[in-house]
Amino acid sequence: MKTTKLNILPIPTFSHLGVNFTDRRIENAIYDNITLQSGSTDITKNAQCTLTAENGEHKSVLQYVRADNAVLIDTSVKVENGAVAVLVQIFDTTEPIVSKLNVDIAENAHFELVQLYIGGRDTVSEIKAELSGRHSGFVSDIAYKLDNNDKLDLNLIADHFGKNSMSKITVGGVMSENADKIFKGTINFKCSASGAKGTENEDVLLIGEKVRSRTVPVILCSEEDVEGSHGATAGRIDNAKIFYMRSRGFSDERIMQILAQAKISRVIEKINDPQTKHRVYDSLGWCDIYE
Amino acid sequence: MSEKTQIADIDRSLYDFRFEEDEQDRLSSGITPEIISEISHEKNDPDWMRKFRQHCLKVYNKMEMVKWGAPIDGLDINNIVTYIRPKSRMNTDWENVPESVKETFERLGIPKAERESLAGVGAQYDSELVYHNVRSEVARSGVVYTDLESAMHDERYAEIIKSHFMKLVPPTDHKFAALHGAVWSGGSFVYVPKNVNLEIPLQSYFRLNAKGAGQFEHTLIILEENSSLHFIEGCSAPKYYEAGLHAGCVELFVGKCAKLRYSTIENWSKNMYNLNTKRALVEDGGKIEWVSGSFGSHVSYLYPMSILNGAGASAEFTGITFAGEGQNLDTGAKIVHNAPNTSSYINTKSISKSGGISTFRSSVIINQNAVDSKSSVNCESLMLDKISRSDTIPAIDIKTDKCDVGHEAKIGRISDEAIFYLTSRGLSEEEAKAMIVRGFADNVSKELPLEYAVEMNNLISLEINSNVG
Amino acid sequence: MCDILKIENLCVCAENKELLHDININIARGETHVLMGHNGAGKSTLGCTIMGSPEYKITGGRIFFNGEDITNESADKRARRGIFLSFQNPVEIPGVTLSEFLRNALEQISGKRQKLWEFKKQLNTAMEVLDMDKSYADRELNVGFSGGEKKKAEILQLLMLKPKLAILDETDSGLDVDAVKTVSKGIEEYRKETGGTLLVITHNTKILESLTVDKTHILSNGRNAKNGGGELAFDVLENGFGEVFV
Repeated sequence: MKTTKLNILPIPTFSHLGVNFTDRRIENAIYDNITLQSGSTDITKNAQCTLTAENGEHKSVLQYVRADNAVLIDTSVKVENGAVAVLVQIFDTTEPIVSKLNVDIAENAHFELVQLYIGGRDTVSEIKAELSGRHSGFVSDIAYKLDNNDKLDLNLIADHFGKNSMSKITVGGVMSENADKIFKGTINFKCSASGAKGTENEDVLLIGEKVRSRTVPVILCSEEDVEGSHGATAGRIDNAKIFYMRSRGFSDERIMQILAQAKISRVIEKINDPQTKHRVYDSLGWCDIYE
Repeated sequence: MSEKTQIADIDRSLYDFRFEEDEQDRLSSGITPEIISEISHEKNDPDWMRKFRQHCLKVYNKMEMVKWGAPIDGLDINNIVTYIRPKSRMNTDWENVPESVKETFERLGIPKAERESLAGVGAQYDSELVYHNVRSEVARSGVVYTDLESAMHDERYAEIIKSHFMKLVPPTDHKFAALHGAVWSGGSFVYVPKNVNLEIPLQSYFRLNAKGAGQFEHTLIILEENSSLHFIEGCSAPKYYEAGLHAGCVELFVGKCAKLRYSTIENWSKNMYNLNTKRALVEDGGKIEWVSGSFGSHVSYLYPMSILNGAGASAEFTGITFAGEGQNLDTGAKIVHNAPNTSSYINTKSISKSGGISTFRSSVIINQNAVDSKSSVNCESLMLDKISRSDTIPAIDIKTDKCDVGHEAKIGRISDEAIFYLTSRGLSEEEAKAMIVRGFADNVSKELPLEYAVEMNNLISLEINSNVG
Repeated sequence: MCDILKIENLCVCAENKELLHDININIARGETHVLMGHNGAGKSTLGCTIMGSPEYKITGGRIFFNGEDITNESADKRARRGIFLSFQNPVEIPGVTLSEFLRNALEQISGKRQKLWEFKKQLNTAMEVLDMDKSYADRELNVGFSGGEKKKAEILQLLMLKPKLAILDETDSGLDVDAVKTVSKGIEEYRKETGGTLLVITHNTKILESLTVDKTHILSNGRNAKNGGGELAFDVLENGFGEVFV
């Protein structure tokens, strides 16, 4: 059966790292066509979703992906002039899934993306945001909690075309046991994007000697008048922090728990719907902090 | 172009001069087993080297071209004459070096540099060593600094060369490593015995000087336990009009608690394809420090790699890349943490101007056994105009939780305020730009010996003003 | 009377260097002791070692708390016994608010669930003592705090956790006059409310003014150079160490 190249790194690098692309079998599938409306939508089958925020409109949409079978989710978002769209995507499944998100952000439009990956046996997720309009904005906050044999391949590309466009990508997560994650984040300043700004940050907490965390934060730049930066940190909790917390009576187990929660609750707190929030904390097994 | 710019006190043409070709025998273009045999015959290779060259050719023919990085379509490997020998044979006495060659070196300042502070010169004219002298002081300390070809025939070094040559960079590493193995010629061999600390830096200068010439020099440096060395490699080549290729190879073995600093200013002329492979293996407590400046060449692929193989080993990489008109410089560093308590620091700057493309590429791998390791990568890019390009593609691959890894990158341009400030104090805009860029490159220049730092700063000023002068 | 803290022939190493040698200090319950010495004499090392920092290895001697040997105990167990260290450089904990942190710490130490309402009330009272703006409760612990704010947050934790023995490691250093007063007020409040024992590491008299100092210990080059009464501390702070070592 033929495979499809997914999550392609815009400019390939050393092949031995295995980050240039990933191969997946994608069969011809039947999709549900869903027009996303404000509020929460559960997704359990292959779905082609569309979201349009028309001129000056403000829309806030939530997708809760709880798949029982292998699932393909293809979401297109159009944020028209002066509109604001907020999309929350929660991936709460153990089954393999492929998610694609294409976003077009017009003049003075603003798109906010909140993504949470709760485990996932084999998740391939691609986000392509085109900041096509002047003063367009893209803010994404992404968190993952991976353990057991969880696998996540995340490819985010922000293409800056518009003058004075702005992107801010924040990714954070906790990995333990045999979790394997690739995060590729690209900020691409095209030569029309004078005055554009883009920042990207990833901060991973690693617990356990068998985790594998690959990070490729890319900045491509063909415009002089831009400001771009990226940062990444990865590793365990530093000893000074452990000692400080121990000295306040925290057991090591509790320290890990609290700091793991701290990494992820930042994103959960962005979910406006209390019911979904509860559902997420339940799924994470952290009901105790939500009361 | 011979016009001088306001700031510059050296002229770019100094680096782009070329004399009449001076060679007696030039092998036909294209690479066949016969050519390889001819090279072996010329070099009087020992048996193992004859076999090794043929083996490399087979690997070369089988391997695919690299699939990432700057385009190298313009390079026709069969058109590059890989072996050019000047009339001169090995000289230990400056007086016997032919006049034209001498003049070339004179303009590069080699004998002067030697007189002043440098320990020895392994100067390579085209593919062969023409001048080689190690100051008696260096020899007295027990340090061996000689050309690799003749060292292979010296029974004192034959075994150690055989057991190290292309063991760190095997021919299967990539296509150009295989090519190098098949056609290599010239280069240095340095051996520093246990507990010897050589205070003065060793310097090698080599250059290409013939139309269509290839340069495949091999540098093999072995530091025994608790020794230290600073090796400076300087490259500069004149301009000519056919695609030129440099596919050198540097293998550095840093023993327990030994310390090696390897400094390079690469300034190939702007039609060169510089596909160079550099690698260091560092044992327990040892340290490798790379200082690297990439200026010239049409296309460069250069990622010095440090394999931290012993507990407590460390690597430091400081680099600058300046891509001007017609240049596509793909540079960076690779680190493999393969033992506990290892640490690495990468600190690079890149500058793009007049349509030049600079790409920073790195890979930091923390293996599962590299517990308590640390790595920090920092890169900054400066865009000097709208027609240039600057890409940053770092990769981090972590296989244990017991490590601390950090990465930071920034891209931007010279701020208008900074230029206004400097011009308000009487500097011209170009002077102001040059001054800011020199400051930007400070991380590298302060790691270089003074005369090199001055030369690099002059180069920067020239590059900045090349459209203006 | 049983000493709350008993340090017996303590030797401490870090990175193969001996930092403390043969230290002997006894502190009776309810007393206030001052620990002094030049920079690098080993004061912070001793404070951190009593708290159980993994950075320092105990190579000889023992530490007793309430008569029990705690030499090999981890810091969290010591905290639960009632030892507290006010850090010289408090660590930043991003993503965890001050109030969340404290409530969790209280639960860890007391082993009891903390009712949100009561906890908030207690926290507000303590913050008032320290003239801290209420908004600090919802800020990430120590993140973006100034030096003074960090020290206040340490004393806030002291007031909330109510330990039996508090070690204050240069809590007054780098603070302006008003901030020292506020911090002193917090320490006084702690003494008044719990009658707790204090080990104060300092270079200043200001913080000692409101306290009755029972004993003074002077460290020099990692050794117990001199022990004396409360007056020794004031003597040194006025006249320097010169006199003492003669």
